[in-house]
Amino acid sequence: MATKAKRDLTVEEQLARGPLDLPFLMLVVLLTGIGVIMVFSASYASAYYEENNPAAYFIRQAIFAVMGLAVMYCISKINYQTFRWLGVFVLILAVVLMLLVLVPHIGVKRNGAQRWIRSFGPIPQFQPSEIAKLGVILYFSARLSKRSNQKAPKRDVRTLSGRLCNFADHIGLTELLPYIGVLLAIVALLSREPHMSATILILGVGAALLFAAGVNMGWFICGGVSAAAALGFIMLNTHYMTNRLQMWQHPESDPRGKGYQALQSLYAIGSGGLLGLGFGQSRQKFMFLPEEHNDFIFSVICEELGYVGAGLILLLFALLVLRGYWLALHARDRFGALLIVGITTLLAFQVFLNIGVVTNLFPVTGISLPFFSYGGSALMIQLAEMGVVLSVSRQIPAPRAN
Amino acid sequence: MAEKTGKSAQTARQKSNRILLIRTIVLMAIFGIVTFIPLFWKLWQIQIVNHDKYEKLAIDQQTRDLTVSAARGTIYDDRGNLLAISSTVQNVVISPKDIAAGEKDAEEKKEAGKKYNEHMNRDFIASGLADILGLNKDDILKKMDQTGYQYVVLAERVEDDISTKVRKFMSDNDLYPGVYLEPTTKRYYPYSSLAAQVIGWVGWADDGTFKGAYGIEAKYESDLAGKPGRVISAKNASGTEMLSSYENYIDAVQGYSLHLTLDATIQSYAERVLSEGITRYQVRNGGFCIVMNPKTGAIYAMASDPAYDLNNPRGISDPVLTQYLQRVQADPANNEAAYQKALQTAQYSQWRNKTLNDTYEPGSTFKCVVLAAALEEGAVSESDHFYCSGAVKVADRLIHCSKRTGHGDQTLRQAAMNSCNPAFIAIGQRLGAEKFYQYLQNFGLLTKTGIDLQGEASNQGLVWDKETFTSENGITSLATASFGQRFQITPIQLITAVSAVVNGGHLMQPYVVQSVTDSDGNTVRTTQPTEVRQVISEATSEETRSILESVVGDGGTGKNAYMAGYRIGGKTGTSETLVKGQNIVSFMGFAPADDPQVIVLLAYDSPTPSAPGSSITSDGYYISGGNMAAPMAGELIANILDYLGVQKQYSAQEMADVLVPNLVGLSSADAQSNLKSKGLTYRTVGEGTQVTGQIPAQGASIPNGSQVVLYLGAEVPTAQVEVPDISGCTLDSAQSAISNAGLYLRATGVSGYYSSSTVAISQSVTAGTMVDPGTVVEVKFVDTHIQDYAEN
Repeated sequence: MATKAKRDLTVEEQLARGPLDLPFLMLVVLLTGIGVIMVFSASYASAYYEENNPAAYFIRQAIFAVMGLAVMYCISKINYQTFRWLGVFVLILAVVLMLLVLVPHIGVKRNGAQRWIRSFGPIPQFQPSEIAKLGVILYFSARLSKRSNQKAPKRDVRTLSGRLCNFADHIGLTELLPYIGVLLAIVALLSREPHMSATILILGVGAALLFAAGVNMGWFICGGVSAAAALGFIMLNTHYMTNRLQMWQHPESDPRGKGYQALQSLYAIGSGGLLGLGFGQSRQKFMFLPEEHNDFIFSVICEELGYVGAGLILLLFALLVLRGYWLALHARDRFGALLIVGITTLLAFQVFLNIGVVTNLFPVTGISLPFFSYGGSALMIQLAEMGVVLSVSRQIPAPRAN
Repeated sequence: MAEKTGKSAQTARQKSNRILLIRTIVLMAIFGIVTFIPLFWKLWQIQIVNHDKYEKLAIDQQTRDLTVSAARGTIYDDRGNLLAISSTVQNVVISPKDIAAGEKDAEEKKEAGKKYNEHMNRDFIASGLADILGLNKDDILKKMDQTGYQYVVLAERVEDDISTKVRKFMSDNDLYPGVYLEPTTKRYYPYSSLAAQVIGWVGWADDGTFKGAYGIEAKYESDLAGKPGRVISAKNASGTEMLSSYENYIDAVQGYSLHLTLDATIQSYAERVLSEGITRYQVRNGGFCIVMNPKTGAIYAMASDPAYDLNNPRGISDPVLTQYLQRVQADPANNEAAYQKALQTAQYSQWRNKTLNDTYEPGSTFKCVVLAAALEEGAVSESDHFYCSGAVKVADRLIHCSKRTGHGDQTLRQAAMNSCNPAFIAIGQRLGAEKFYQYLQNFGLLTKTGIDLQGEASNQGLVWDKETFTSENGITSLATASFGQRFQITPIQLITAVSAVVNGGHLMQPYVVQSVTDSDGNTVRTTQPTEVRQVISEATSEETRSILESVVGDGGTGKNAYMAGYRIGGKTGTSETLVKGQNIVSFMGFAPADDPQVIVLLAYDSPTPSAPGSSITSDGYYISGGNMAAPMAGELIANILDYLGVQKQYSAQEMADVLVPNLVGLSSADAQSNLKSKGLTYRTVGEGTQVTGQIPAQGASIPNGSQVVLYLGAEVPTAQVEVPDISGCTLDSAQSAISNAGLYLRATGVSGYYSSSTVAISQSVTAGTMVDPGTVVEVKFVDTHIQDYAEN
């Protein structure tokens, strides 16, 4: 197919060929690069002991990173308007996969949870929850972007149901129902795995999108208050949670048992000091720190690169997040803006939770650090999401020369 | 209408776009800035504020810090005999964590069909170790349940034979690191109970270290212990070495060795004399004995009874204490707690070094000091006379003499020989309270001697203060002090003071550690004899020595300590204690009197009288220092001088002849008592009970103390013997040469003492002549000392 001359393109097509947002791209590439290198350092000991090849994890992660960057670029070339109709299908796919993951022999059970679908041929094993996140973002953005265009349906005010419906319309409940339905379905499926951190992330992202799209603030206040109440009730009244909170406050009370992870992470971070032990010099990665190239990779970063290095990486994340929202503010349309808000919020939320867990700001829960944690499929999906952001960025109109 | 709707739709869209814009900015602020603040803050807290804390915790778990124990120094006596020595033994340790891991590994391999270690299982290891160590298998299994630990000690300090078995068990079954041996040290005391209270022992302290608990082991802990070394190496969580491993060695500094002035042989003499006396006199509270070199203050022996075995310091082996414990145990009124308490009392009493941990009233032995002080000050002289009526009234108190009938008129020398209390009260009064107190101070009786041993007691408060003593009211105190009562000093203070009296007036600081050497044998430090001060003059010392020799040699209260040839001087003492009916009988003796080489203080605490209030034991011994301590001390001094190789000296009187009686036909026992009464010694040949022959024959005139040979059924030898050449020999060596030949020696030519300076110049039977055995050879001696003076 011969490429059309520029003059033959529609406005839409011309816009889609706009330039990528270079700062955002650079930040993504930079973080991915640092991430892969840190996987090398962090996984060194485990790879040596488990696979006899200290670079085993590194090589795999590097391949995925390269592939992911390629995918990101390709996606950025797609006109994101295409994603409008894609959301529903991604969501359906996610639901199917989340059902499949519960099937033995397809889902892989690990540490008492069934979150992974095993690899088939060239497809690596992956978590359906990652797809669900993307599905929620796509579907919510597409649907919410048309929000202001929808006409209020006419209802018969003489019947009770009609009046109730009108009341529901008035307070905005009617428009929320499909979103709540989707979220409840996903939460129900995730709770079967179970997968607490993905649940939190998806709910958070969903809420952020609804918030950005202009849903009545009252819902968020109600939702926030009831969520806090429920959480408080669970924390204070279930033995499991009080135990866990106790362990969070005092990990040293069971240094070899439940407090082990948190404590080992603190040892790693604390021994880093201001400047760190130097790249590759982590001692905690020698089988002291569990999940050291995964959920706890940031501890190794802190140990090796110190407060300065870890702070720099945090700063890069902050810049990426800020740039993302900046792109959302400048996006060409509501759909693009909401897409970026969803993706950026997901990323920021995940970073916040991961580092919060690693530094014992929150109780320990399994959550990975974007671009850093070892895991090919997650990295690829993250980069694909970045591709979506970049795609939106292409259509940002150039600032008018004033 | 359509336009209007379009317009309102447009404003609605604009409005919702503005909302989107504002809310995105809110999200941007929250997720781009606000959420990062706690993260930065928390990292600051962990990495900067608590950096040291976490770094230390991390390093603790990341490094394996092995202690290399330093060998504890050896303790030697003055001749290089081993008194205390350390040897390496092993602790048997298991690592439940590694055992659990090994077991899991073996199971996995088994399932996978790979080669696995079938012995790596709890049951096998527990039963194997239970067999070797003689432990309960269930207890071992229980210890293996602590799977979080890598160090659980099963058996402490096992000897080589057992540790070899464990090592074999380990290597045969490839159990390391589930089971391992940890080297440690154990202390051995080859002489068991010898000088137990001086040497002391090593035990576990409250802080978990193994260190000296008593005696020299405790006092010289810092020298003996050395410094343990360390091996620090990096390790990973499973305990094996890290890839980028580093190791850091800090060498152990071996402990220093101590060379004591103590002599194992003299110590054993002292202890034997002590325990023999305790049995013989039914002594209830043990006793003590110090043997010292009076010239240097070096302690040759320091014995304290009850004694115990250093290899088992908590065990009770002393017969008196054992009896006491048996009584406690047998008493139905006592429970286990009472027994434990009694056991503890017994332990503390056997660990006490009575020669310096305790004080006592020195009694008459103290008169040596009073005598020397009075002579030094010129308060009395040898020509002075003292009258004893049996009691003397001081202030309003009547003080009795030990002899109630009184000693009558006595010279100073006789007063000392009689240990006459009224005479010494008079001497004390002539000296005056002021001077008397000054001498207490000068002889070091008010301060610690500073001996290098643990726990020297201070007698502060046990002696009057100066003001009281020198006041009007102090007159009775002065009186009692003059014969050594109503104040308390430590035995080591007394012997140090009396050493100064007899050694020419030098108060020496007593010491036990002669030198300290490092593990290569280099001397780290040496103790030089330290003179604290000169208390009396050489002349006064000589005069006092002469008087004290009379106490023993001329029939004074110390006459039972007399041993021919040794010139022993001394003073007896029977001191009252705070408990009525319990006396400490003692003897302070030194020899040779002309040049003291050794000084001894021997005391027994509380011999049992036959009945309460009686002064005689059930075996007929009169309870007094002169009757109990003196004979034992005399024998001890003689043995020590022989051991030290000090030449014997005989007075002309001691060499006087005795006629040999007829003994043939008598029973062996009768013959022996007959000879004893004549001042002769004997030796028997044969197994019979009747004396069938004797050498020399009846009527032979042989020197006092010579040995008669009694033949009990054995053939009397008739072969002639050759007379040895003894010209130039001293009496001592001449005597041994002559008696070895089966002959007798009669010494002539010297009026005073036959000593090392008197040598033989002629003999009545020429050397080489064959004579009958038992013939008396007369040898003429001259004092070369005097000759030298004449020539000069």
